[in-house]
Amino acid sequence: MNKSRRKARMSSSSTEGKGLQSNASGEAEASKGGSIRGRSLEDEESHRSIESSHVSSTSPSTIGTCTLMCPAGERVQREHLRDLSVFERLNGHPGKTSPSLAVKKFCRTMSTKHVQESDVRPLPVLRDTLCYLLNLLDSSEQPFEVVHDFVFDRTRSIRQDLSMQNIVNDEAIHMYEEMVKFHIVSHHKLLCCNCNVNISSMYYLNLEQLRKSLSSLYGMYDANRKSSTISKNESEFRSFYVLLHLGSNSQSVRLASPILKSKELCFTRKVLRSFRLGNYYCFFNTIAAESSYLQYCLMEPCINELRILVVSCINYGGYTLSPYPLAQLSKLLRMKESDMKSLCIACGLEISTNEAGNKFLPTKQTTFHPPKGGFQNYSFLGLERLQRHTRVDDSRTTNQAS
Amino acid sequence: MAYLSMGEAHRRISDYLNRFYDSVSSQDGSSLRQLLSVSSDSPHLLSLADALNVFQDANRLIKQADRYSQLGEIIAPLFRCLQNYRIGHLVDAYNAFEKSANAFLLEFRNWESAWAMEPLYVIAYEIRVLAEKADRELASYGKNPEKLKGAGSFLMKVFGALAGKGPKRVGALHVTCQLFKIYFKLGTVNLCRSAIRSIETARIFDFEEFPVRDKVTYMYYTGRLEVFNENFIAADKKLTYALMHCNPRREENIRMILKYLIPVKLSIGILPKSWLLDKYNLIEYNDVVQALKRGDLRLLRHALQEHEDRFLRSSVYLVLEKLELQVYQRLIKKIYISQKQRGPSKAHQIKLDVIVKALKWLEIDMDVDEVECIMAILIYKNLVKGYFAHKSKVAALSKQDPFPKLNGKPINSKGTHKNKNVPSVLGLIIPFFFFNFFVCGGGGG
Repeated sequence: MNKSRRKARMSSSSTEGKGLQSNASGEAEASKGGSIRGRSLEDEESHRSIESSHVSSTSPSTIGTCTLMCPAGERVQREHLRDLSVFERLNGHPGKTSPSLAVKKFCRTMSTKHVQESDVRPLPVLRDTLCYLLNLLDSSEQPFEVVHDFVFDRTRSIRQDLSMQNIVNDEAIHMYEEMVKFHIVSHHKLLCCNCNVNISSMYYLNLEQLRKSLSSLYGMYDANRKSSTISKNESEFRSFYVLLHLGSNSQSVRLASPILKSKELCFTRKVLRSFRLGNYYCFFNTIAAESSYLQYCLMEPCINELRILVVSCINYGGYTLSPYPLAQLSKLLRMKESDMKSLCIACGLEISTNEAGNKFLPTKQTTFHPPKGGFQNYSFLGLERLQRHTRVDDSRTTNQAS
Repeated sequence: MAYLSMGEAHRRISDYLNRFYDSVSSQDGSSLRQLLSVSSDSPHLLSLADALNVFQDANRLIKQADRYSQLGEIIAPLFRCLQNYRIGHLVDAYNAFEKSANAFLLEFRNWESAWAMEPLYVIAYEIRVLAEKADRELASYGKNPEKLKGAGSFLMKVFGALAGKGPKRVGALHVTCQLFKIYFKLGTVNLCRSAIRSIETARIFDFEEFPVRDKVTYMYYTGRLEVFNENFIAADKKLTYALMHCNPRREENIRMILKYLIPVKLSIGILPKSWLLDKYNLIEYNDVVQALKRGDLRLLRHALQEHEDRFLRSSVYLVLEKLELQVYQRLIKKIYISQKQRGPSKAHQIKLDVIVKALKWLEIDMDVDEVECIMAILIYKNLVKGYFAHKSKVAALSKQDPFPKLNGKPINSKGTHKNKNVPSVLGLIIPFFFFNFFVCGGGGG
């Protein structure tokens, strides 16, 4: 994906600059309609953190004047401290950067009172910065987790700037949507390399920010709602929250009726229902037929969990004299037959082979146990078509501590 | 409004000030509480508000006499609240009330005995109600509704004032329940956890010491939380407690408890009698119960669709959806029974195709692979005892008790397979009167 195309996508909305004087985050009041399960959006930390600030409707908002991706003062300071990311180094020099490379860092301790307008980037600059960062994801030669780490921090700073200026218009919504997508894809890619302890903490931090950005985004959808129309992408992004929490016994989240009846929510509820009932047939069929790539990324851990459950289930309830054909089972669970075999073996079960060379899972084996050693990265047959979204080249991820 | 003279306005205000001061100095909680219920629209307070709006300088009156000025911090903002409330400025009314409430709390801490508990309850109630109204006003102006959250913070402070060894601690449960109402309204139910922990683990509190009314409300809300988290045994225990201790004449409260208790009971295999649903107007559960009794999957899905909004609003939709497994169990049991009647020797073998046909008759389209899947799950969760043969597409049922009853226990979600047909001890505690509400099992045969 090239830079100009992404930029064109993002400039499509009408208003820019001042937004509504509304809060950018937090749980919205129940609108008419029903509720569906998901964790409560109240995030105690968000009380204090700035990126989802509870700026009251009466306090004035800053309007930033910084024209660069990074305020000049910070740039100079970080050059002196040699606190430059590999992406910010001019010709690889650890102590030199440039305005086109330096990007403002996220600052945890910043409070709205002491911030100077010249340190805050206005909306057009933020838009361009985000563009730049997302393009890095596609174009960089660095290992994935290194790029992720940089984009993770710098997008968090973008959200911080948006929040401080209380910008909650359509354009901000679009930017948040892009950032949520980044977190979702990272959620998938970081899961695949969980053997590394560093990456594991990165995974959980990413999960936390994914939740926070979704929460803020929902607040913006609510703030921007005109009569009963819903934002173009709102249904899809609402579905993300539910799918992220597919496996947990969480409390309800209230959604407006038109959203509940949307294609994305109907899909989500169908998936949720089959998962909760254990109807793996319906679960895998529905996902294969209707899931988007992003939705798949969110459901991945539950997909694997259910696959393990099915192996256990078939082993438990199958007839001893009727071993289950592996070809059939792998088709049911949308796995490659070789992956199916690996999964069964990882669960402590044996595979038998008949004279024709067909493989079977004998049932009533007593050695079943959940696989050890974390997440197994199996593909989902039928969804490879969706993976053109981003480069699937995971060979760049390192499995060693860096 | 009839003409109100300055003299008359003056008289009304002075009268209120006297009553306020007298009730505080004589520690008369029941008199004081009547002077605080802003949202009650009592004629007394309405006429006072009119007087304040005419007189415009009540602060001078408060400061004039020394005896009033001690309570001035409470009364002055309270007056502003009444004035604003009267003219429909609800955000300003809330803001003023919050100031007054905080001042009241400061004084309350100084009063040694618990004489002002009733007035404090009124303040806890009013701050919530006024906050809700203020938030509605804010939302209508496109602003962020944040007042209810603020009311929650205030109530936390109140809780802190009551969480001590003295006689005031008896009010802690009441305030906790008010907090629950706020958290449930805001959807931030995870915040209930810390309040619950304070009540249940702190040594200063003895649950039995609290008034019954508060215990019922507390069990109702904590029971609802257990329903959200699908801890059905705990939910059953708490909601049943609330039901048993609730005043039988408070039919609306009983209805609210049953609204959540019924899905819980259904999930553990206990069906309510139809007179119960009729008496408390819970007709939305009629078809659900019928579907369970008859193994009618179509009826269950239809019932969920028809009352979708109501079930979603009370957050029991997902719980009811999960009853599908029990409906499947019942359906297959009926097939088994009819086969048994035709020829007892072959009854325990059911062709999966027969189940496909039965579902088709109910206008549900499922192919044999999906039916095998359902069967595998039912066996795994111990709703059916037996096994399935993939090649011959047959389910073979155990000759002994092929359809184990839930008997007050939830369906095994983790698939552990110990013998579960032990009757629940809790069932023996329920007194006869309430036991008659429910019948066990999925109907006859």
